[in-house]
Amino acid sequence: MAEEASHTFLRQFGCEQSLLSKPDGSASYFQGDTNVLSGVYGPAEVKVSKEIYDRATLEVLIQPKVGLPSVRERAREQCVRETCEAVLLSTLHPRSSLTLILQVIHDDGSLLSCCLNAACMALMDAGLPMSCLFCGITCSISVDGQIITDPTAEQEKESRALMTFAIDSAQKGVLMATTKGSFSVTELQECIAVSQKASERIFQFYRDSVFRRYSKIL
Amino acid sequence: MPVDHRRIRGPDESFSPRLFLPSGSAKCAAAEDRRSGDGARGNMDVRAIFARCGLVSQAKGSAYIEAGNTKVICSVYGPRETERRDETEMKRGKLLADVRLAPFSCRKRGQWIQGTEEKDLSQFLLESLRPGVLLQKYPRSQIEVCVMVLENDGAFLAHAVTCASLALADAGIEMYDVVMGCAARRSGDAVLLDPTFAEEHDEHPSPSGKESRLTLALMPAMNQVSGLQAEGEMDAESLVEAARACMEGCYKLYPVVQQTLLKSVRKKAPPPES
Amino acid sequence: MAAGFKTAEPLEYHRSFLKENCRPDGRELGEFRATTLNIGSILTAEGSALVKIGNTTVICGIKTELASPTVDGPTKGYVVPNVELPSLCSSRFRSGPPGEQAQAASQFIADVIESSEVIQTEDLCVEKGKLCWVLYCDIVCLDYDGNLLDACIIALLAALKNTQLPEVMINSETEQPVVDLEKKRPLKVHRHPVGSSFAVFDKTILIVDPTAEEESLSTGLMTVVMDEEGRMCCLHKPGGTALSGEKLQDCVSRAVARHTEVRKLIDKVLESMKMDT
Repeated sequence: MAEEASHTFLRQFGCEQSLLSKPDGSASYFQGDTNVLSGVYGPAEVKVSKEIYDRATLEVLIQPKVGLPSVRERAREQCVRETCEAVLLSTLHPRSSLTLILQVIHDDGSLLSCCLNAACMALMDAGLPMSCLFCGITCSISVDGQIITDPTAEQEKESRALMTFAIDSAQKGVLMATTKGSFSVTELQECIAVSQKASERIFQFYRDSVFRRYSKIL
Repeated sequence: MPVDHRRIRGPDESFSPRLFLPSGSAKCAAAEDRRSGDGARGNMDVRAIFARCGLVSQAKGSAYIEAGNTKVICSVYGPRETERRDETEMKRGKLLADVRLAPFSCRKRGQWIQGTEEKDLSQFLLESLRPGVLLQKYPRSQIEVCVMVLENDGAFLAHAVTCASLALADAGIEMYDVVMGCAARRSGDAVLLDPTFAEEHDEHPSPSGKESRLTLALMPAMNQVSGLQAEGEMDAESLVEAARACMEGCYKLYPVVQQTLLKSVRKKAPPPES
Repeated sequence: MAAGFKTAEPLEYHRSFLKENCRPDGRELGEFRATTLNIGSILTAEGSALVKIGNTTVICGIKTELASPTVDGPTKGYVVPNVELPSLCSSRFRSGPPGEQAQAASQFIADVIESSEVIQTEDLCVEKGKLCWVLYCDIVCLDYDGNLLDACIIALLAALKNTQLPEVMINSETEQPVVDLEKKRPLKVHRHPVGSSFAVFDKTILIVDPTAEEESLSTGLMTVVMDEEGRMCCLHKPGGTALSGEKLQDCVSRAVARHTEVRKLIDKVLESMKMDT
């Protein structure tokens, strides 16, 4: 696959769907060496204490590669959950539970964006109704001010600022944003523009993979 | 030691700088006797308290008490449906108490994880308050009392009791009386009422070596003691003496608490202009 | 009548106000609630501050302790922030270990500290590889009525500016540290990050400084943290409705204005404290 402009370079990415038998939807998504496995359960019965009367309750769990989840994972869970909640038509399944489990297989940078992509693929695989799709893009700004998309762990470490966005497929708007390091407003706007551009390739990939899958079945 | 995965962790070990004070500068004893100096309070004086009701907007009732530097805040939620169905009592309500010490409230940093000490404190608070509340009026429901100690300058548990009952009253929970708390420390023959932190942890024990602490909860209108906690060495007579001193302390603070409540009621429902 | 409408149809109730470009508490859409600050009220802490934004009350106390630095950063100290939402502050929180919101807030504060470099951890070093300071920044919410993150950042910043570190020497014979509580130096605060929070109503209307009710009814929340040079230290939008570039620009310019306001407030309170002593 030929890469266009250097600054919208994405590492090789790919996905396998429905690879697990137990969950209602599953996906394994990789970007370079970063790999996340995801599974979705639901709509299923919900605990009374967590029941919401007019929509489904979504729970997101992120399991790190080693050890138990800590505060950092909890913050990421919140980001993924609220992003999914924004696009999922959860009002169609009131008083039920949706559980999304993300298992980190390997982290080589851009982990949160990989989690988001894996989440979206698994939700699609589970056939849950969504108003649009979303994807995650991570950008880093290097010390000399260059914007690098989809950075590796090493590039993340050397960077001055790091931003992760979730972009929706309908308006290319920013659903979720979380940043690290300090940066100017212009840099932020540039990064958003770059991410929106890069998101097109991921959405194209989503479309192709769905097309491939269903053209076989039908 | 269990690792807390729900909080941001610091280094595995850290030490209070107070451990490394040069040996010569032992902390000067705060008080063997308070009577030295003008304006100092006498052994049997309680600290003046500042009390306010209704500070926490989200709670049904709340109160804040400042006695010297001891600062305690309390909020009350309920009566509401009991969370656990199997524990529902059909005839009377359930009172729950939770006492937390903020990590920065003591000289040495405390841990967030609730230790056995905090559970004991919660239990004492619960048992002191329970006789004062008309729980039979709230069947199948629970009333939660949450106390946070923001700064501990001695006798915080006693003030927590007063603060909690103020908050209960502010929440409109029916009570026989406001439960007042007071603490005392006995060192040798002297009784110090409402001790400060330095007085509680006096490093120069009295020659007789008898050290003890007492916390008492009292319902002044009925002159009934609802809670008593004593630790240390003390004979029966001195226990009674110390308890009497605490009761007197409660009576001294009673009008202040009544005024605070009156003020908050007036604020909530201003008297009709005539 | 109005009270019944408010309880039965809270969203419609809010919409009817927003249509007229105002909010149920009488504020305009872009208006912050009155912010008050009290610094140094907790004497057992080395630094402390109490912040009130409307009803929301947050207290931050900083305790300092000594520890040995990590092998990776022998010249660095530690800053350990934690946000606590006890059952005291709102009926929506249970007692027990912190829930997701408290943990996400703790992580957010930790990110702000790291990104803005408000404290340089090198300043906390006492002796390279042997001894350094740990700043435990415990932030407790006493009354939760929305906009927790802004209040936490103000409380943290003011408490850090109030923190005094005692002098420490290493005794060359025993190699033990000796602390002199009489001699204290203030902690150096390099940057002044200030946050501004926004809520999006019905996917289009942007309001600042949401209350707890507005937060739960809104379709998206966002916090922008700026420093004094107009650089952004943190943009935190944990999901919710998508925002366009112009809306974002709007938020940034409001955040810049808010930064000046809060800076002035902190300086004023610190100044009045100096006058007192």
